Amino acid sequence: MEYLAQAPTFWNGANGSSELWLKIAVAFVVGLLIMFGLMSVPAQFRRAVVAAATFLAGLTYILYWLWPEPIGRQPGTLPSGSIEGVGFFLDDSQQVIGNFYNILSGLLLGLGVYSILRIHTRKLVRQQQDWAFSGVLLLGMLLMIIFGFWDFHDHAGPGAALLDNPANWHWQNYTADFLFDGLLQTMDAGMFSVIAFYILSAAYRAFRIRSIEATILLATAVIVMLSLMGAISYLSTKGINAMSPTLANGQPDTGAFIQNFSLANISQWLQDTLQTSSIRGIDFGVGIGALAMAMRLWLSLERGGVSQ
Amino acid sequence: MSDAPKKNLGDKLQSISKPVLFLILILATSIPLWIPGITVPNEPEKPAMDLFAKVMALPEGSTVLVESDWTNSTRGESGGQFKALFRILMRRHIKACIYTAADPQAPKVARDALRMLNDEQRAKHLPTYDEWTDWLSIGFFPSAEATEVAIASDIRKAFAGRKATPPGGTQQDIFNSPVLEKIRSLKDVPAFFLLTASNTSNVVIERLYGKVPLAMMVTGVMGPETQVYYDSGQLIGLSKGLKGVYDLEILMENGMTMKDGTRIEGFKGMVNRDQGSLYYPTLHVALTLLILAVVVGNVGMMLNRRKAK
Repeated sequence: MEYLAQAPTFWNGANGSSELWLKIAVAFVVGLLIMFGLMSVPAQFRRAVVAAATFLAGLTYILYWLWPEPIGRQPGTLPSGSIEGVGFFLDDSQQVIGNFYNILSGLLLGLGVYSILRIHTRKLVRQQQDWAFSGVLLLGMLLMIIFGFWDFHDHAGPGAALLDNPANWHWQNYTADFLFDGLLQTMDAGMFSVIAFYILSAAYRAFRIRSIEATILLATAVIVMLSLMGAISYLSTKGINAMSPTLANGQPDTGAFIQNFSLANISQWLQDTLQTSSIRGIDFGVGIGALAMAMRLWLSLERGGVSQ
Repeated sequence: MSDAPKKNLGDKLQSISKPVLFLILILATSIPLWIPGITVPNEPEKPAMDLFAKVMALPEGSTVLVESDWTNSTRGESGGQFKALFRILMRRHIKACIYTAADPQAPKVARDALRMLNDEQRAKHLPTYDEWTDWLSIGFFPSAEATEVAIASDIRKAFAGRKATPPGGTQQDIFNSPVLEKIRSLKDVPAFFLLTASNTSNVVIERLYGKVPLAMMVTGVMGPETQVYYDSGQLIGLSKGLKGVYDLEILMENGMTMKDGTRIEGFKGMVNRDQGSLYYPTLHVALTLLILAVVVGNVGMMLNRRKAK
């Protein structure tokens, strides 16, 4: 039981064929018509359509989660009953729905690009405040798109394997590498490293032991930080081993009570006992909140958005 | 003549200016970078040892899935983890299918890291780890949730339509590649590695746990929340932050002895120590500076309190 685009049906076409491109174009136009159609109808009707689509989309995942999973299914296997038939259908549908989601998320990226272009082109054309920065942004974007795709095209061609060795690069590959690694990635890493300055400044100014709670927090933080320093942790273990009783083979008894007080063990205890349980508690709360929110969205109980 | 009240020691200790603090940070963290080859004594953590043991136990010639969700903003940690993982995979002739579900930049960053490893191999006249035959990078999947569900359901359909270029040929379906030709379902994949600096770890646990053995390599910030999954037995191994990178590099250099006495040999004489070994002394200096800054601020506060009494 193949679902929509997985089988060679009306809903798909051979990869790269003109038939597939035509179907994509038709689907795009139909999608736009549906979107504009929905925008022009009364809100009451639109709300019902959006609510039904949201419910059906969510229902697929809920059924996939709850419905008995087909066991030992092989290609060509026929379902042995209606229950397994629905299981097969849900199993097959995941790929199509996954593609839908990936395409929708991709469209959101495109929407972001469109939004940046619209805002900064307007700023540049009208020469509003800081228009020069908008110019740099648009120029950077244009260069990255051109050389990025050029480099991508080279890597997809017959000489792709040769390009693994920089000695075989052409100027467009060097330019793409300079733009991506030399500029974008370096600036990205540089911006992130600025956090170290803020952390040091904030720790120095704000971390004061004014209460019992703050003292416990500080002590715990110092133990965990010290445990991240291999040299300190190593020396602590050496010291504890020296104080620990020795076994017949001359090795320290790792089961001795005093071993509990090595920095590594204290840090491990903090992580396994206090930290893990706290994070689980937080995750549990967040999970319940997300479930409640998901139910509201799924059943269209949440106000606002496109349904209004 | 200034009328400003004279600062006592407590005030002075609490009012070190930002530029001075920042200058000390720059100088202190730069020093170890000028002295390469510092060996910091270290005890590898259990999660990293488990990760190393599991990678070393993977069958030669098998194919693993690698979700590479990091970019250069966390290259200090994630880059080191990626290179350590792929050095082991390359030396053990294990194939890898790489994809990303977090950031469009990630596939290019992963490719660049693999290119660096191959440059290193070429310089030493060693065999390279080649695209198509040894690894595939199948690109970016914008929706992590939907992609992981689809992979769990049917990996061949989830990756359907993706193409790669064999040496000297034209683009072909990725399932014609030696990397994926034997993969029919997730059951054929002996391990799944996630390298991430974001919450895709939660998505992977939610959607893929129980379907394939999972291992994660995360940043120091992500460490605590990912430790939860390791403690619950949902991960077969875990590398956390720079300490995790250094642990792996030391294990690759020296090997390890399992609890039952079985010895896992490392890769003595090969390039094992890289980013982790280079940056770990810097982490020591930075953490020492952080602790000192907190101590100095608190000593200043206590001196002022005592004076006020």
